[in-house]
Order: sequence, then C-alpha cells, then structure tokens
Amino acid sequence: MIFDVNVIFDQLPAILRGAGVTILLWIAATIGGAFFGFLVAVGRRYGGRLVNLPLGFCVEILRGTPFLIQIFLLYYGGPFIGLALDPVPAGLMGLTVYGAAYYSEIFRSGFAAIPVGHIEAAQCVGLTQGQIIRRILLPEMTMLVLPPSVNMAVIILKETAILSIITVPELTLTVSAIGSQQYAFVESLFLLALIYWALVEAAGRLGHLAETRLSRYRFSQS
Amino acid sequence: MRAGFLVRGLATAALLLGTTFSAHAEDALARVKAAGSLKVGTETAFAPFDFIDAGEHAGLNVDVFAEIGKELGVTIEWVALPWEGVLPGLEAGKFDMVAGPATITKARMERYRFTPPVAEATVAILKKAGDTTITKPEDIAGKAIGVGKATAQLAQLTAYSETLPTKVDVREYPAFTESYADLAAGRIAGVANSLPNIAFVASQRKDTFEVVLPPFGQKSYFGFIGTKDADHAPLMVAIDAALLKMKGDGRLAEMQKKWFGASFDTPDSVPDPAF
Amino acid sequence: MSLKLFELLLKASLYTIGISLISILIGFAIAILLSGAMLSGRKFFSAPAQIFISFFRGVPLLVQLLLIYNLLPVIGINVPSIVAAIVGLSLCTAAYQAENLRGGFASVPRGLIESAEMVGFTPGQAFRRIKVPIALRLTFPALVNEAILILKASSLVSVVGIVELTRMAQDLAGSTFLPLEIFASAGLIYLVINLVVARAGGLIERSLPGIPR
Repeated sequence: MIFDVNVIFDQLPAILRGAGVTILLWIAATIGGAFFGFLVAVGRRYGGRLVNLPLGFCVEILRGTPFLIQIFLLYYGGPFIGLALDPVPAGLMGLTVYGAAYYSEIFRSGFAAIPVGHIEAAQCVGLTQGQIIRRILLPEMTMLVLPPSVNMAVIILKETAILSIITVPELTLTVSAIGSQQYAFVESLFLLALIYWALVEAAGRLGHLAETRLSRYRFSQS
Repeated sequence: MRAGFLVRGLATAALLLGTTFSAHAEDALARVKAAGSLKVGTETAFAPFDFIDAGEHAGLNVDVFAEIGKELGVTIEWVALPWEGVLPGLEAGKFDMVAGPATITKARMERYRFTPPVAEATVAILKKAGDTTITKPEDIAGKAIGVGKATAQLAQLTAYSETLPTKVDVREYPAFTESYADLAAGRIAGVANSLPNIAFVASQRKDTFEVVLPPFGQKSYFGFIGTKDADHAPLMVAIDAALLKMKGDGRLAEMQKKWFGASFDTPDSVPDPAF
Repeated sequence: MSLKLFELLLKASLYTIGISLISILIGFAIAILLSGAMLSGRKFFSAPAQIFISFFRGVPLLVQLLLIYNLLPVIGINVPSIVAAIVGLSLCTAAYQAENLRGGFASVPRGLIESAEMVGFTPGQAFRRIKVPIALRLTFPALVNEAILILKASSLVSVVGIVELTRMAQDLAGSTFLPLEIFASAGLIYLVINLVVARAGGLIERSLPGIPR
C-alpha cells in the first residue's frame, strides 16, 4: 500500500467544503437538539400525563431506532406522505429531532438527581416554577449533565456521517468518494480519522473547560 | 536465565520467520488448493449477481463460482461485505478475489486484474413505470438522473450527457439502492445503471419501475476482480481458464439466460475498454 | 413484504444483540480501569488513559473497525471478522463509559465523603463503601443509555463482514427493492430490543437504593 498525500492536497477545496457542511450541521443540530430536548424534559416534568405520555413515546421511538433508519424513512419515505424535503433540510431536521430525544433524557435524569429538599425549600420561600427551573434546577444539574451532554454532541457529530445516504455533501461522503475514485482507501481513512478526531478533541476541551469553570464557581458559593 | 531467554526468543523468531517463508514459498493458487477453498469477497446487495433470495445467497455469481470451484477442485467460501469494504479487503488479503462484478475500465485495469467478462455492463435508464416523458435515452436531457457515486456508470452517464443538447442533472448516491428509492419517491426522473441490474429491478417491481431501451453510450463489460501481484497470477490464470471453458461449453450462456433472461455475446478479454 | 423477510431480519438481529452485549461487558471492565487511571491523580496512569479515550471517542467507529480489520493484517495480525467487530465495539464503548464513570465520581457530593471520614471510615473504606456505590448509582442511567447507543452503533460492524440487522436490511433492500418496508421492519426490531433494555434498566434502577440526600 502506498500512502499518497497528493491525493488529499489535490482535492483540498472539496474536502474543506465537506468539512464545512459537517461542522455547520453538527453545531446547528447540537444547539437545536439541546434546546428542544430541554423543552421536552420540562414539558414531561410539568405538563402532566397528557404531555408526558406522548412525548415519552416519541422519545422512546427516536432513541430506540438507529439514526440511519430514521433518516432513510424521513427522506425516502417522506414524499409518500407529502413531506418532500431537500437533503440538507431533511438532514438537519432528522439530526435535531434525534438529538432532542437524547438531550431530553439527559436533562430528565439531571432533574431527577436534584434533592427534593432543595425544590421544596425554594417553593417554601415563594419562588415561582419558572424561577425554580432557572435558579435551582438548571445550575444544580449543570455539573451532572455536562459530561453526558458533551458525549452527546460527539455522538451527533459522528451521526452526521450517516447523512451521506441521503446525499448531503458532508465530509464522509466527499472524502470516501474521492477515496474510491482514486483507490486511496487508506489515505481517505486516515484523513477522516484525523478530521473527526480534531473536532471531537475540540468539543471535549470546551466541555472540560466549562466543567472546571463551573466547579470553581460552585465551590466559591458554598 | 538471560541466555535462556535469548535462545528462546531467537527460536521463536526463527519459527515465525520460517512459517512466514513457507507461507510465501507457494503461490496463491497452491494455497487455495491446499486449503481446499477459494475465499471470494462480494456485496450481497447487487442483484441479480449477488443477492439474498429467500434467505440464501443467490445469483449469477453463486452459480458461476460453483462451477469455477468444480474446475479447480475447491469449495467456495463467501465473505459478504458492504461494497466500500470489498476492494480494501481484497488489498488487505482478506480474500483471494472479488466477485462483484465491476465494470472493466481503464483506470481499474491499472490497479486490478480482471477476469474475462461475465456479462455486458452497458448502461441504460430505469424510469418510473408509465412515465411517457422518457421513451428513448436522449429524453433524459435536462432531467435529474440518479447514479452511484464513484462508479463506472457515473463516468458513462457524464460522457453521454456531454453529447446531449441540454446537460443531464446528474445526482450521485452512495449506493444504487438509494437512487432507486429516490426514483420511487419522485425526486429524480431516472436512474442510470448497467442493463442487467436495472432489468432485474424492473422485473421485481413491475408496478413501479420500467427500463428505457436501448442502452446508451459505448459497450462495456462486467468482470470479476483480482490483484495484480505475482503471488496471485497463477490463481487468476486458472480462474480465467475455468471461465473461458464455461463460456466455450455453453454453461455461462445458460446461467446468463437464467439470471438475465438473455445471454450476452461477450469477448474473451477486454484489452482496451471504452472508459 | 413477506414473513420470510421478517424472519431473516430477526435472525440477523441475534448478531446485533450478541455482539453488543459482549462488547458492553468487556467495555465496562475496561472503562473501570480507565476511569480509575484517570482519577488516580498520577500522570503515569492518567495520560495514557486520556489518550486512549480521546482516540476511541474521536475517531469514527467505522474507521476504527476498518483499521482493525484491514490494516492489522499489513503488520501480520490477521483478525477474523467477529473478533474485529467485538474488539472495535468494546474499545469504543469503553471510552464513552469511562467518561460517564468519571463524571459520576466527580459529582459524588464531597460532604458525604467528609462525613464518612468523620464517623471513622478510612479513606479506602469511604472510597469503596460510599464513593463507588454512589458513583455507580449516579451513572447507571448513562450506562443504559450507552447500551442502547451501542446496540445501534453495532450496525457498523457490517463493514468487517458481519451480516447483522442493518446489513441484512440493506441486503434485502438491494434484492427486493422494497427499502421502506424493510427499513421500517428493521427499525421496529431495534425498537423492541431497546425497549426491553430500557425497561430492564428502569426496573434495576428502581430496585437500587436511592441517592442519599
């Protein structure tokens, strides 16, 4: 096997475009997923059975089936029920909804880990529900939900590779197409490994930074 | 103690070297015959060559390799992989050769060693059943046509598109299965793929798909794939001989009729492919 | 879609279940070592663990599997498909599980350990009897989550030659040209498997002692 770096340099503009699409979709889907996931978690906690049950049902389906199958059915099955989306919107929507299901569970277990006494105390001193969420639940659970949230962001990044099956021109599709055109299998594998690794490292560093900052803040309060 | 360790280490190294040498002393053909089995890598989602029919791996390749096995006096051991893993697996020595088959092209011949053709690979259009806007290949001008990414069919479609008054809107898919799904979903007007493949698709799903005849562009052929190294040369020569013998006595034509509904007039070799 | 096709999908799902289960168990054992190394406070242990986690979390599983299956033979190690699949999946989940465990240990309230030591626990006892159980309790939901993620990620082992549920669905889609029906059925099978895992996880979680307030 010959390792030919030129294959990569010749195709650099296309590869960078693919990486750009991957990064944009990743960031958008992670922020969107965390946002909607938080809404779902709050809805399930305070919305009563009528909200909790159907939302729980949707979350179970989204978490219980592979993203590959969800996105395939959304994109190729959608037109049969009048939902004909273009590849990028379909990918973004699928990925956000998928992420939201997981984030809602992360936030739910975060809520559950907060001592009931803290909430009761807050209610006693007259805080409203919104205030309790903002002032008690969110800050207290941040430490607990931060590591799984970063994990989830990493998982979302890797799921973006699946969007190649609905022809989203992201990194994996771009690089593997170049790889098989030029028979540069090894080169393209290493390139993919390197770029994804760098992105995951960046996300992990940010997560750790946030964790240290927050724990310092927490201890200065006590 | 230390001397003993050293001796043992050397002995192990010698043993390892010895086995490596003896493994390379014979060529691939001798190893296949000694093992009594030929390992063939393929993707089992390439009907009618390789596919899962009622739970069993079936298709033209299965029949052809069964006969090759008889000629060589070995059994066939199939390794099923997704296509993106097949050629890298061949290069890593995970199997002796690849079924596939793949369109014989100039670029691929530089990298791989092809067997004599087993079928025609000339490209035609698959459209939605009852679509009257496409009745001949030229009608795809200006329309969205799906094709597999990094395939020989893509190269042929692109070349054909250049000859049309308005270019074809070429849409690349990671695999042909997805392009058929998008044709059914209505995002594209047709799929360009080799005639044997789309003829099979249309025969399986008569209500959904239909083939546009005749094929377009220049003739091309499907062959099985091996590596070019000297170690595998005797094996590939033996495979070639077995295939040509099957072609000569009519067995290959019979199998083509069974799987494609018609036999092809294929050359014994493709020294100078059109693409 | 015929019953026969559904049966084929069910059979292939046995690979999905078997490979995932073995990998999660092996991965958990490795994760304990990794999180221990990271919390040891010694660079000699924590640095390699950090690199391990970074690599296996950062590099896509598909690439890891191809490296194990196709590049190890180049240096003379020829691994069979099933071994490559289990090794790849175990190492990958170990990295994620280690990160979860670390988070769990970090969020055990400091006061609990201090009070344990005040009532006469040695640091070792406080670690074993207080910190470990609480950390495991805190990270149990994350473990169930990870199990479900791995069950789904196991679809990637097809690239080393294992015909598991997703690959069988793709093969059948490529043979029958009924991709929507087949993918929906495969999705249903994944859903049932994962619901069972989630329910079992929920039952176990409820039977575990509550978190001390």
